[in-house]
Amino acid sequence: MKSVVTTVIAAADAAGRFPSTSDLESVQGSIQRAAARLEAAEKLGANLDRVAGEAYDACIKKYPYLNNPGEANSTDTFKAKCARDIKHYMRLIQYSLIVGGTGPLDEWGIAGQREVYRALSLPTAPYVEALSFARNRGCTPRDMSAQALTEYNALLDYAINSLS
Amino acid sequence: MLDAFSRAVVAADASTSTVSDINALKAFVASGNRRLDAVNAIASNASCMVSDAVAGMICENQGLIQAGGNCYPNRRMAACLRDAEIILRYVTYALLAGDASVLDDRCLNGLKETYAALGVPTTSTVRAVQIMKAQAAAHIKDTPSDARAGSKKRLMGSIVTEDRCASLVAEASSYFDRVISALS
Repeated sequence: MKSVVTTVIAAADAAGRFPSTSDLESVQGSIQRAAARLEAAEKLGANLDRVAGEAYDACIKKYPYLNNPGEANSTDTFKAKCARDIKHYMRLIQYSLIVGGTGPLDEWGIAGQREVYRALSLPTAPYVEALSFARNRGCTPRDMSAQALTEYNALLDYAINSLS
Repeated sequence: MLDAFSRAVVAADASTSTVSDINALKAFVASGNRRLDAVNAIASNASCMVSDAVAGMICENQGLIQAGGNCYPNRRMAACLRDAEIILRYVTYALLAGDASVLDDRCLNGLKETYAALGVPTTSTVRAVQIMKAQAAAHIKDTPSDARAGSKKRLMGSIVTEDRCASLVAEASSYFDRVISALS
């Protein structure tokens, strides 16, 4: 899993050397930013259901045609699956906040996502709308500190870009 | 390769839940500078640790450097020093990551079989690793022994914490123990 620490170790290992001072400084930089990331991860983890639920409602509100017969949100089963997908994205964003890199999103969310949505004939615009809603919903200091919100929003932007 | 953070993520993903034990990770972050000091203490003394460990192993078993021994001639002694350094290096990586996966995947996987095929004696290797384990503990605690180091004693001089980084000493020792159990 790609993170600052694993990248540093992989580079040191490729050169066959012990971790150098500059390696340790990169790790220290990552550790110093970790407090904000972990704060965002903690708040998101505690409210995951509500955040994902609001994002899901927002995308269905913007694209009501999805409720029409035969569309992606038409039956209870489909609705549950749509809500679950949004929740998966939010969970992967929490993981990425923990790791301090986009590794979990890349490996478990984005790899193959285009092919899956094409095979299932799912539109990506509603996902973009749901994540954009979450992107603009976060508010400081109500939800989390400013630095934590920056880290959180950056990952939402990354997920949105991967879909558009 | 995983680190302490991605290990928590992989564990949470197995049950599709969010990472809930964030306090453990916060503790990891809070003691981050101690960890970096510990890694630095080992990396800065690595060549001394390796040569002392191999020399100690040979002192206890002189047969290794007599004709037919596994550290004779120089070519095989050099291979022995190189291997001790490789093992110490991967232990250092594991200590930096806070997770043993790099040590397991890149160093220990298949090491026992390789040594068996090459005829490297396990008991001697384990002894050298045990010496490095004691040295690593002394360097992380920054308490090298006066009696043994003599005029070559070298202190890292980092800030002394009340418990002398007992948890990091225990963690580093667990990685050395992992090497020992993988070999025997």
